Amino acid sequence: MINADLTALFITLKMAAISTLILLLLGTPLAWWLAKMKSKIKVFFEAVIALPIILPPTVLGFYLLIAFAPQSHLGQLWLQLTGSQLAFSFSAIVIGSVLYSLPFVVQPLQRAFEQLGDHYLEAATMLGAKPLDRFFSIVLPMTKASFITAASLGFAHTVGEFGIVLMIGGNIPDQTRVLSIAIFDHVEAFEYAQAQTLSLSLLIASFVLLTLIYLLNHKKVSR
Amino acid sequence: MGFASYIFYNVGRSLLRRGYALLMLLSLIALQVQAETPLRIAVSSNFAPVIKQLLPEFTQQTGKKAQVISGVTGGLYQQLKHGAPYDIFLSADSLRPQKLAQAHLIIPHSLKTYAYGQLAIFSMKNPNITWRDLLTGYKKNHLTKRLAIANPKTAPYGKAAKQCLVKQGLWQQLQKKLIIGNNISQTFQQVRSQAVPMGIVAYSQLAINKLRGDLLPINCYQPIKQQLVILKKTLQPKLAQQFSDFLLSTKIQQKIALYGYLSGTKTDD
Repeated sequence: MINADLTALFITLKMAAISTLILLLLGTPLAWWLAKMKSKIKVFFEAVIALPIILPPTVLGFYLLIAFAPQSHLGQLWLQLTGSQLAFSFSAIVIGSVLYSLPFVVQPLQRAFEQLGDHYLEAATMLGAKPLDRFFSIVLPMTKASFITAASLGFAHTVGEFGIVLMIGGNIPDQTRVLSIAIFDHVEAFEYAQAQTLSLSLLIASFVLLTLIYLLNHKKVSR
Repeated sequence: MGFASYIFYNVGRSLLRRGYALLMLLSLIALQVQAETPLRIAVSSNFAPVIKQLLPEFTQQTGKKAQVISGVTGGLYQQLKHGAPYDIFLSADSLRPQKLAQAHLIIPHSLKTYAYGQLAIFSMKNPNITWRDLLTGYKKNHLTKRLAIANPKTAPYGKAAKQCLVKQGLWQQLQKKLIIGNNISQTFQQVRSQAVPMGIVAYSQLAINKLRGDLLPINCYQPIKQQLVILKKTLQPKLAQQFSDFLLSTKIQQKIALYGYLSGTKTDD
């Protein structure tokens, strides 16, 4: 049982780490695009990205289950590309997590980019800096606290995920059984002691992580 | 802060540059195929504790490992319909296995009844409560406590509980007093933790946890026929069949009866 729990912990961390990485790669350009957008269509995209905050995970999970199923178009395409089924795989829970945690990464980044102001970038352009150089030399250093917030929130939110992972992951040991599901399983099987241990460690770890985020934010504000 | 941001800046910088290569690598790791996959048993939550206790014996007999995936019957059915890689499905009812059979998702003739479930009334504070007490109490209105049952739509034990309450003419009256659990495990936990004073649970849950409760008359609900099927998709049909035979063997059926079920083979049709 202890071994199985360690596996669940490892899968959880792996899922959260990969999801956070993808979220940063995907969320950064998306947040930048939204921050610089002048058109009114912007609110439409903002609403779409914020949807996972409101939608119950079961709704998102249900749609994803249908989308990922082997008989669906996406499921077929995935099968042809990778040779393995998408639904109930580790890849499926990563994709689910990315969608589910997207607003938690995009929103802080978008706020930061909006507050950045244009004059630094204009000055850099005048001095001949290319777009990518401007991003790494100006935007990233100036918004690093928001990046840390976005990454930590994305990571933490993914660790705490339950409904979607259960639905599209199928609770398969060694593959898609994450910590939250392992706890659920222990409770279902009347293994309250193990459920207690896991719940308590998750509680403490989440608390420490969130405290660190707020500490970083606090320093940023008070400076 | 300075150090952390320095690290973050550099890591972020290199990650963004090498991110895609890294992603490819990570997804390769994620997609790696496991050499020997164990038998995956999807089981309705009421029977999961029993299976977990029976598994060591199966592993001893066959030398093969098995994994238990427990969930609410309706949910497992949805997952199976959408391609879940389970080898064998132990349902808490006969409806879902039959639907899977109609959809040609199972190995023909693998449908078997492995147990019949029983309902019981259960209360932590008042362990001596009987079904009769409950009925007269509610009917005469001197019982106003809440009652936990499983969701009649998705959980077979909830459906059976509803049938008994409907039969007694109490269903409408109790609407505002019912606490509906997602599955029978949740209902049991609600009552055991005393969050709800009493509930209609599976008798097996009481038997496994050595708790007391009063059996509901078997004729007030349609038999909770718990059936199993072997999925067509399975890569190990032999092992799945071995497990099915193991479960239906006289010795194991006797054990199942000790866990608060009625044997599935005795009254099989």
